[in-house]
Amino acid sequence: MKKKNKKVVVAMSGGIDSSVAAALLKKAGFDVIGVFMLFWSEDTKNAKWNRCCSPGAQARAREVAKILDIPFYVLDFRKEFKKQIVDYFLKEIKKGRTSNPCVECNRFIKFEVLFKKTKELGGDFLATGHYVRKRECKIQNAKCKIYKLLKAKDKEKDQSYFLWRLTQNQLKHLIFPLGNLTKNEVKNLAKKFKLPVLGIPESQEICFVGTSLEEFLKKYLKPKSGKIVDTKGNVLGEHKGLIFYTIGQRKGIGLSGGPYYVLKKDTKNNLLIVTKNERDLYQKELIAKEVNWISGIPPKLPIRVKAKIRYLHTPAPATLHMTSNVTRTVLVIFDKPQRAITPGQSVVFYKRNEVLGGGIIETTINDKL
Amino acid sequence: MPKQIYLDYAATTPIDEEVLEAMMPYLKKDFGNPSSLHHFGQITRVAIDQTRKKAARFLNCSESEIVFCGSATEANSLAIFGVVKALQKKIKKPFHIITTKIEHHAVLHPFEELEKQGVEVSFVAPNKIGIVETKEIKKAIKDNTVFISVMYANNEIGTVQPIEEIGKLISQINKNRKQKIYFHTDAVQAVNYLDCDVQKLKVDLLTLSAHKIYGPKGVGALFIKKGTPIEPIIYGGGHEFGLRSGTENVAGIVGLGKAIELVEKHKGDTERIKNLRDKIIEEVLKIPNAKLNGSRENRLPNNVNVSISGVEGESLVIALDQEGIAVSTGSACSSHELKPSHVLLAIGLSPKSTHGSLRITLGRFTTEDEIDYFLKVLPKVVKRLREISPF
Repeated sequence: MKKKNKKVVVAMSGGIDSSVAAALLKKAGFDVIGVFMLFWSEDTKNAKWNRCCSPGAQARAREVAKILDIPFYVLDFRKEFKKQIVDYFLKEIKKGRTSNPCVECNRFIKFEVLFKKTKELGGDFLATGHYVRKRECKIQNAKCKIYKLLKAKDKEKDQSYFLWRLTQNQLKHLIFPLGNLTKNEVKNLAKKFKLPVLGIPESQEICFVGTSLEEFLKKYLKPKSGKIVDTKGNVLGEHKGLIFYTIGQRKGIGLSGGPYYVLKKDTKNNLLIVTKNERDLYQKELIAKEVNWISGIPPKLPIRVKAKIRYLHTPAPATLHMTSNVTRTVLVIFDKPQRAITPGQSVVFYKRNEVLGGGIIETTINDKL
Repeated sequence: MPKQIYLDYAATTPIDEEVLEAMMPYLKKDFGNPSSLHHFGQITRVAIDQTRKKAARFLNCSESEIVFCGSATEANSLAIFGVVKALQKKIKKPFHIITTKIEHHAVLHPFEELEKQGVEVSFVAPNKIGIVETKEIKKAIKDNTVFISVMYANNEIGTVQPIEEIGKLISQINKNRKQKIYFHTDAVQAVNYLDCDVQKLKVDLLTLSAHKIYGPKGVGALFIKKGTPIEPIIYGGGHEFGLRSGTENVAGIVGLGKAIELVEKHKGDTERIKNLRDKIIEEVLKIPNAKLNGSRENRLPNNVNVSISGVEGESLVIALDQEGIAVSTGSACSSHELKPSHVLLAIGLSPKSTHGSLRITLGRFTTEDEIDYFLKVLPKVVKRLREISPF
């Protein structure tokens, strides 16, 4: 790739990863523009700013841009973020589902809204500090190329789970400078480039929630208390509102004689169904909707894959089957039952290191009971 | 980066060389505290008094009617909170105050704060071309109205308000009143180009800023007509006639004095700037679906504000910055805000169309070449941005 005169817009958060990504692009000879995105945040006494983009983070990103001598712009996506990410998250919770805001943020904010800005800025590419790799492959006997999305070299940091919604057209214009680096190497590079980004704690919380998720949900949704029942329908107690519980949860149910686990949320009857038998949480099958194939071409099903049902889940062997009726829907059957398959979360399909695609978990077989 | 062209003089102006030169001694050897009795203090005291003299001459008032502040925002707060506080002590009954919907936030937010505190406030709307008509102010005045603030020229759309006419109206009304109505104007954007004779304008208070007239940042001034009830909002050593405590920013105040002097010297430049402005308006309106915001006639000689549909203002500003041209979407302050411009909303634009607004403001150092370059680049950028769809 000719790097000279190629313009890259890099999303900078003020953290170590995106800062090093920007530095590497600059060093490689690209014409780099740094952008910092403003996201919406709950406004509380304790927290006024989104964790991903506080004024401190903005100042750091700006300082890094200054050190690298690249132009730097702050883009205000608060309105888009509130509508597409926060409102969607709340809508899903209300339906008894747990969505992953990071997946949606990548889809709508980074790779739609920011992509448009990249073009406006005259950028040829958009770069992020994600730990993933992109590979360009030639298709045999064809002139066109295909872009593959691969797991990062650093398996601990791999973030491919969040990017299953990417399309070929997006991948074509994306650069992931950290895909071939380990976190340690990135730390050393930050030192080498003298970037003031070391020792900043990484947040695991949902970025737009002020104090706690429970407080946030109380403020934006109306919790409706109801009955806690076992699988046979026996009433065991009262719940505070289904929005506060997630599938597989053990702590905070408030029943004696446990431990009990949250098995299912029946939003229609406002029932929290629990079980004492943890084995009940394990299921073999799920139905995924909104399925996206990175290659853009749906493979011939059935195929064997490894499927990952949440960010911290180890991909497990499974077979993907066609479902009878709907397009972009796939039936996933695991070889062995998996714990707490949660509607609303993403399921991502891997073939060795390659992300084939993914979908949103719609139902599990439990739901059919 | 290509050459850098600055067309955002309403946000701030560069410091004039002569201003900087005048300031330098007070940043170096003449460092004394103006309140000190000794020689060092005497030097800086004299320097401040000289600026006061220049400001008084410029505004046609007496020296004791000028108070220096840390910014025009602070001067506005002193005018609004200070007068209302004094009146609250004097008048025991609830009273009414008036401002407009197109004020700078430095006036709007103090009024909103007073409203929260229980004071009755009317926010008068402008007409479609951004002028607050005298008859609307007249309509808003009640028997218990005691304070009115109307900006001299709008910072976003550059429209010039009929301050002299409103001043006349208020002084007429005051003739038949026991409790006088006090009249304040925020003249920050007006000083470079408009007559700021306070006798003519019939204002009781007037705010000005140094950094909008080629002076330094961090200096504002407030004219307070003798006899106007006012209380300080900052307490301390009793500087500035007890109205603004805090050791004076000597170099800054000296800079303001020089800047005021230069405004008079450069009055002849207004026609040139106005011609450049008209050239921009004419050319920009040739872009399909571009519309001028605010009156074409009653506007500052250096202000162009246009709505260009189908493009976001923020995108335009960034794209032009890449071409080396600095403009803005509205006020520099509004860049931090999520809300659409309150000024554009007040003149009847839809929230959506306020997003495509662009403010181009000219100044002393703007050249015709720069304008030609801008006019060459803008249509291309608009065309490109309108054609863009996501990858």
